[in-house]
Amino acid sequence: MSFLVMTITALFTLALYSFLYKDNPVYRFAEHVFAGLSAGYYAGLIFQTVLVQQLWVPLWGGQAWLILPALLGSLMFVRLSPKHAWVSRVAIAFVIGANSGILVMQQLHGLVLPQVAKTFVSMASVQGVLIVVGVVCTLIYFYFSKPHTGVLGGVATLGIWFIMISFGAHFGYTVMARVSLLIGRVQFLVIDWLHLTS
Amino acid sequence: MRGPLPLAVAFLAGMFMIVSFFSPHPAVEKASGDFLNWVSIVSGFSILLGVVSIAQNNLAKVKRRQKEWPYAVVLLVALAVMLAGGVLEGTDSGTVYDALFQNVQAPMMTTMFSMLAFFIASAAYRAFRARTLQATLLLGTAVIVMLGRIPVGQAIYDGLPDLANWIMAVPNTAVQRGIIIGAALGGAATALRIVLGLERTYMGRG
Amino acid sequence: MSLAKRLESLDRRWIFLLIGLSVVLPMFLPITFPERITSQTQALYDTMESLPEGSVIMVPFEVWPSTLPETEPIARAAVRHAFRRQMKIVSLSNVGGGGPSIADRVLREEGNAAGKVYGIDYVNLGYRANYLAVLSGMGTSIRSIYQTDYSGTPVDSLPLMRNVDSYKDVAFIFAIADNATLDYWVSIVGERFGAKIGAGVTAVMAPKMFAYIDAGQMVGLLGGMKGGAEYEKLLGLPDQSTRGMGAQSLIHLLIIAFIVLGNVGFFLSRRNARPA
Repeated sequence: MSFLVMTITALFTLALYSFLYKDNPVYRFAEHVFAGLSAGYYAGLIFQTVLVQQLWVPLWGGQAWLILPALLGSLMFVRLSPKHAWVSRVAIAFVIGANSGILVMQQLHGLVLPQVAKTFVSMASVQGVLIVVGVVCTLIYFYFSKPHTGVLGGVATLGIWFIMISFGAHFGYTVMARVSLLIGRVQFLVIDWLHLTS
Repeated sequence: MRGPLPLAVAFLAGMFMIVSFFSPHPAVEKASGDFLNWVSIVSGFSILLGVVSIAQNNLAKVKRRQKEWPYAVVLLVALAVMLAGGVLEGTDSGTVYDALFQNVQAPMMTTMFSMLAFFIASAAYRAFRARTLQATLLLGTAVIVMLGRIPVGQAIYDGLPDLANWIMAVPNTAVQRGIIIGAALGGAATALRIVLGLERTYMGRG
Repeated sequence: MSLAKRLESLDRRWIFLLIGLSVVLPMFLPITFPERITSQTQALYDTMESLPEGSVIMVPFEVWPSTLPETEPIARAAVRHAFRRQMKIVSLSNVGGGGPSIADRVLREEGNAAGKVYGIDYVNLGYRANYLAVLSGMGTSIRSIYQTDYSGTPVDSLPLMRNVDSYKDVAFIFAIADNATLDYWVSIVGERFGAKIGAGVTAVMAPKMFAYIDAGQMVGLLGGMKGGAEYEKLLGLPDQSTRGMGAQSLIHLLIIAFIVLGNVGFFLSRRNARPA
C-alpha cells in the first residue's frame, strides 16, 4: 500500500475516531462515505455475480430457462410502485417459502436432534450431569407459558444462575473481541502508517 | 389473486425443499440444485432492491433539501463511484472497486466497530454494578474468564486458565445448548407456519 | 467532592484515553507471552495434521470487514497451514458485504508467498446470494450454484475443480466466520451432508460454538485473537495474533480495574446515602 493510500485510510480512520470526543461534521462526512461505499459494493457485487455470472452468461450459453428466475426477480422492483406493489409478493413468497422449507429441516435435523442427543448421551460423568441439569434449567427458565412458582420457580431460579455464568463468560469474550479490533486499527496507525515502531 | 397466489408459491417452494430433504432420487436432487440456483438469483434481486431504496431515500432528501441533505449527496456520490467501478471494471483485485473496498470501506468498517472497545470500557466502569447476587455471579465469571484468557491470569493462579475453560465447557455449554434448542424449536415452528400459510407478515401491506 | 462522587461522575473521555494508551504503549514494548494451548485449538490443529497431504479443503470466508483484525490472522494461519501441507483450497463467501474481496486478497497474498498457482492450488468461487440456498445447493452439486468463480472464469476450466463438485469431494471444511452463517455450515453442511467442520471465529461467537464442539458437530475451534495466537504458536509462525496479546492482556486488566473501581464508587455512594 503506498503512503498516499495509507494516509487516506488513516485520515478516514481518525475522522471516525473523532466521534469519541464528540459528534462533528468530519465524522458525519466519513460515516456517509462509508454508507455510500457499502451500498455501492453490494450493488456492484450483485451486478457481477447475479446479473452477469448467474444470468447473462448462462442465458447466452444456452440455458434459456433462466429467463424465469430473471423475470421473477424483476418482479421485486414492482414494490417501488405503491399501486402495484402486491405483485412483488410472488417473488418474496418464492424466496421466503424456499428458505422456510430449508429451515424446517435445518432447525430440527441440524440443531435440535444432535444437541438433544448429545445432552443425554453424556450423563456418564459429573460434568455430563451438570450439563443436563443446566440445559433443562435453562429451557425451563425461558418457558413463560406458566408462572415461575413452586418447583418450576425453583428450577427456573437455578436456570438463571447458569445463565448468569454463561453471560459473564460471554462478556469476557466480548471484551476480547472488541479490544482486538481496536488493537488492529491502532497497529495500522502507529506501525504501518507512522512507522513509530516496528 | 393477491392473497392466494403468493401463499401457494410459498407453500409449493417450501414443500419442495422439505420433500427434497428426504428424497434420495438423483432426479429430485438435480431439480433441487437447479431450484436453489433460482432462489439464489431471485434473492440477489431483493438485495438490489434494497440498494435502490437507499438511493431513492437519499435522492428525496436532496430534492426536498431536508436537514443534513449535503451528507446525502456524499452518500450518493460514494455509491455511484463504487457501483460504476464494479459494473464497468469488475470486482477483481486491481480494480477501482477493489481498491476502494480494501483501502477505504473495509478499514472504516473496522474502525467503527473498534470504537465499541471504548464504549465497553465505559460501560464496565459506569454500568456494571454488583447490585444482586446474580449480577455478582455474572461479573465474577467475567473476571475469571478474562483473566483466564491472558497470560497474567496464569501468573496469578496456575489453574485459572483451566477454570476458565471449565466454565466455557460445562455451564456455558449447557446454557448455549438450551438456547440453541429453544430457538431452533421456535424457528422450526415459525418456518412451518410460513410454509403452511399461517404466517403472512413477510408479505407486508399492499 | 467526596471520593464516591468523584468516582461516579468521572468523564468517560478519561476512560477512552486510558484505553487508547493501553493499546498504544505495548506496541513500544513488544513483549510476547507464552500461550497455553486449549484443547479446542489443539483438536483443530491435529485434524489438519491428520489429513493426507494434498487433500482438498474448503475455507469459507464468512467474515465482514468489521472483524478483520481478529479473523484475518486466523484465516492466514489456516491458509498457511494448508499450503504447508500441500493442500488445495476451495474458498467462497456468503457475506455480500465484503467476504469475497477479503478471501481474494488473503488467498492471493498467501498463495503468492507460498508459490501457489490460482486454479491449481486454490480457487475463490466468490459470492452467491442467499446462504441457505447456496449451502443446500452445493451439497447436491457445487456447479448448480457456482458455474463461474469470483472473476467469472468457468469452474470447469479450473484444474482444481475438475474432481470437486460437492462436499463429498472435500476432506475438511475450515470455516473462518464472524456471524451466524457458521450455524448453517454446521447444521446443513455438517449434519445433512456429513462434512467435517472446524472453525476460526471471533471471540464473541466462541461461547456458542462450545455447544457444537461438545455435541461433536465441530472438531475444533479457534476463538478470537487468543485462539489465533495459539494456532500461530502450534505452527511456529508468530504473527499478528501473537503480537496483539500484549495489548489484550493490559486492556483486560484495565477493564477489570474499571469494574472494581466502578463498584467501589457505587457501594461508597450507597453507604453515604444511607440515613445515619
